[in-house]
Amino acid sequence: MPKINNLDEVAAAVLDAQQQKHRLELRGLGTKTGIGNQPVYDACLDVSAMQGIVDYQPEELVLTVRAGTTLSAVEAALDKANQMLAFEPADLSALLKSKSTGTIGGVLATNLSGPRRLTAGAARDFLLGFDAVSGRGERFKSGGRVMKNVTGYDLSKLICGSYGTLAVIDEVTIKTLPRPETSLSLLFESDDMASAVALIAGIFASPHEPGAAAILPQPVAAAAGIDLAADFVVVIRLEGIALSVDDRAGHLRGMGGIGGTVETVPQALSETLWRRIRDVDLLADHAGDIWKLSCPPASAPQIIAAIEPHFDMAFYADWAGGLLWLAGPSGADFGNALRAALTLHGGGHAQLMCDRGNSKQLIPALQPLPPAQASLSRRVKAAFDPLGVLNFGRMHDGI
Amino acid sequence: MQMPEPDQQIMARRDAICAALRQLVPAASVVSSAEGRRAYDADGLSAYRQLPLAVVLPETVEQIAAVMKYCHAEGIKVVPRGAGTSLSGGALPLADAVLLGLGKFNRILDIDYANRCVVAQPGVTNLAITHAVQDQGFYYAPDPSSQIACSVGGNVAENSGGVHCLKYGLTTNNLLGIELVTIEGEILRLGGKHLDAGDYDLMGVMTGSEGLLGIVSEVTLRILQKPATQRALLVGFDDTAAAATAVGDVIGAGIIPAGMEMMDGLAINAAEDFVHAGYPRDAAALIIVELDGPAVEVDALIERVAKIMDRAGASSLKVSTSEDERNLFWAGRKSAFPAVGRISPDYLCMDGTIPRRRLPDMMVLMATLSQKYGLRVANVFHAGDGNLHPLILFDANQPGELARAEDFGADILRGCVEMGGVLTGEHGVGVEKRDLMTIQFTEDDMKQQQRLKCAFDANHLLNPGKVFPHLHRCAELGRLHVHKGKMPFPDLPRF
Repeated sequence: MPKINNLDEVAAAVLDAQQQKHRLELRGLGTKTGIGNQPVYDACLDVSAMQGIVDYQPEELVLTVRAGTTLSAVEAALDKANQMLAFEPADLSALLKSKSTGTIGGVLATNLSGPRRLTAGAARDFLLGFDAVSGRGERFKSGGRVMKNVTGYDLSKLICGSYGTLAVIDEVTIKTLPRPETSLSLLFESDDMASAVALIAGIFASPHEPGAAAILPQPVAAAAGIDLAADFVVVIRLEGIALSVDDRAGHLRGMGGIGGTVETVPQALSETLWRRIRDVDLLADHAGDIWKLSCPPASAPQIIAAIEPHFDMAFYADWAGGLLWLAGPSGADFGNALRAALTLHGGGHAQLMCDRGNSKQLIPALQPLPPAQASLSRRVKAAFDPLGVLNFGRMHDGI
Repeated sequence: MQMPEPDQQIMARRDAICAALRQLVPAASVVSSAEGRRAYDADGLSAYRQLPLAVVLPETVEQIAAVMKYCHAEGIKVVPRGAGTSLSGGALPLADAVLLGLGKFNRILDIDYANRCVVAQPGVTNLAITHAVQDQGFYYAPDPSSQIACSVGGNVAENSGGVHCLKYGLTTNNLLGIELVTIEGEILRLGGKHLDAGDYDLMGVMTGSEGLLGIVSEVTLRILQKPATQRALLVGFDDTAAAATAVGDVIGAGIIPAGMEMMDGLAINAAEDFVHAGYPRDAAALIIVELDGPAVEVDALIERVAKIMDRAGASSLKVSTSEDERNLFWAGRKSAFPAVGRISPDYLCMDGTIPRRRLPDMMVLMATLSQKYGLRVANVFHAGDGNLHPLILFDANQPGELARAEDFGADILRGCVEMGGVLTGEHGVGVEKRDLMTIQFTEDDMKQQQRLKCAFDANHLLNPGKVFPHLHRCAELGRLHVHKGKMPFPDLPRF
């Protein structure tokens, strides 16, 4: 199928697909095709040509960009103005064996975030408005180009994380933020998951403004080049003006870890380390499937304790991302065990992010929804795409 | 304001409906007398009043579900109400609708420091969340001016902001989970104590849906550790345009203050008369900038901001040296509405947002409109995010003045949209801005929003007559265009 250049062409293609009873696969650069379920589609709608920065006003903290623009082009433009996407979208290309980081539209469609998830938010917290063509083949817009807006339903939230199942987006307006002037990381040693989680809880209950936190079991820490002997290493990132970062680091060093040893990782090394934590580099070489778990912070030790004795697995926590990343055996058993553990320990969501066997044939990639929520979600899908033309089944059965 | 024609058949069945409701909730929880209902006849937009059909005050989520099931089965409309502080008429009753008050849901259910969240019933006030956790150094960030009275359930319905949302976000950015009762009486839990899920962000779309999609029966809110230090600057300018530029300069320098507010001359003097905060009376514009965080950082940034203000041409500048002084700086801003209330019998509070760089143009427009309508306007802005609160002064006892004030307000909002902004930044559309939605949205834009409504409430029973100027039947909205002379998939079942 030829590349689509604008929303008029999208509308024509969608109407055409309705006519021919085709189900379309929406595709930017195809880097995230492996995320979600993998139904067979009749045709592909290639939107990667809808590119370009439409408007960028650093002082207004807003960027309007076409959805097919590459994430690296967006980040380069922001970098020039000393700004950033504060939700720090993960670059999963190493994990998913894709050639590039993909498009900003793909980032929004999968609602990616990173280690700043807790302190800044996810993609859904930064999309201010968009224009689009629905699965009905009709143009519509929502939101706006200003930061504060409650006019009408907040469809930006719905579009983020909808995996292209509701509408094809073109121009999106995103909130940007200034880049922190400096950053560094502190490494604390810990005996077990429970004390690591407790240490982080204490740090986040202090006024010293931690920006990100991770828990790395010893083998993962070693893979990240951290030379500490403890069973677990807690990594804390501090960001801001140098005076403040140094001051806060001083306070946090006093908060312990085993024997009180705290190592400092300077900015350049710290940035590399956090990129690897964000991008799941640290598990990329593991042979098994990769799962992403979002769970209540305090439940993590119980969840790990419930799973670890039964599987050959590796894991770490991108803790301010609110995530456990796990590598485990292909098939359905591992995922089923994760979902059962979540249900027992405060709820949450387990998603199969990287399928290295044929696990998706055996287990849904996204956690199945309770019946009432599933039927409401199907009605929402139908409100935008009644015939199931767009990415049908990518998220859930019938959605 | 034209509201949907009341259903006379429903109105005629009022006694029977009240009796049926008394079977579902404790008898005392159904208010049917005229004097009892009168207490609920308006919200914060008090220019509009209407007696509801009946008021129901359920005490449990099961009772909410039972009331919803009954109303759904009987085709009776439902208007949800939290504390009734909406400034846009979101909780304005309808003559043929049950008003569902959530005032009895006033308990905090769980304070979970390990997971940094509070689970609360929807009738708990915004400020009560902070009060419940402040001993441990935590607080709840969104702080609408009505925070002493407004409820957290209402905050979800309106996606409430406050003076600190530039740095800490609106309700939607601080909400982890909700329990929701649908119009069919089903109870759903969305989100929880974790951060992300793999479904459509139905919680995100419920937030700010103004009571049109469902009843929020429980909320899980993120709490934050209180910043170590807070300090504020009070900066006067002789020229509004220079003040607007200064605000952009601060953000351009990479500084995101906890709050950045602006007031114009009329608002400055009204506030100064009211609370004697030491505001510069002769300034054309006043900026309050608050910085928070570790003391060393706040001190350093205060200096940077002061330099930026100086360079932008500030005519006066004070930095708070104590908590008392910082609170005094804010006292004038926080009492700006009542202060303006003292200099005029009535005022209308508008709530548009513009791209910040258009502020000088907006000031010119407002001055022109003020002349045209012969009414004064005082301005307070959330300058950091371009959210305007023009207060249009009028006297409701003068024939025609309310209508003139409303026309003035509509023209300001039209200007907001023309300058690239939006109709409402934080107060909601409600009934107040309902008929102006066509300025910002095309018919197709609004139809798509209403299709979403149909997914939640196919018979338009929840809070009808709010937000959307035209109601379309869901069957009509669901119809697809006839394409090339025939319907696509004629053999497929329609949703």
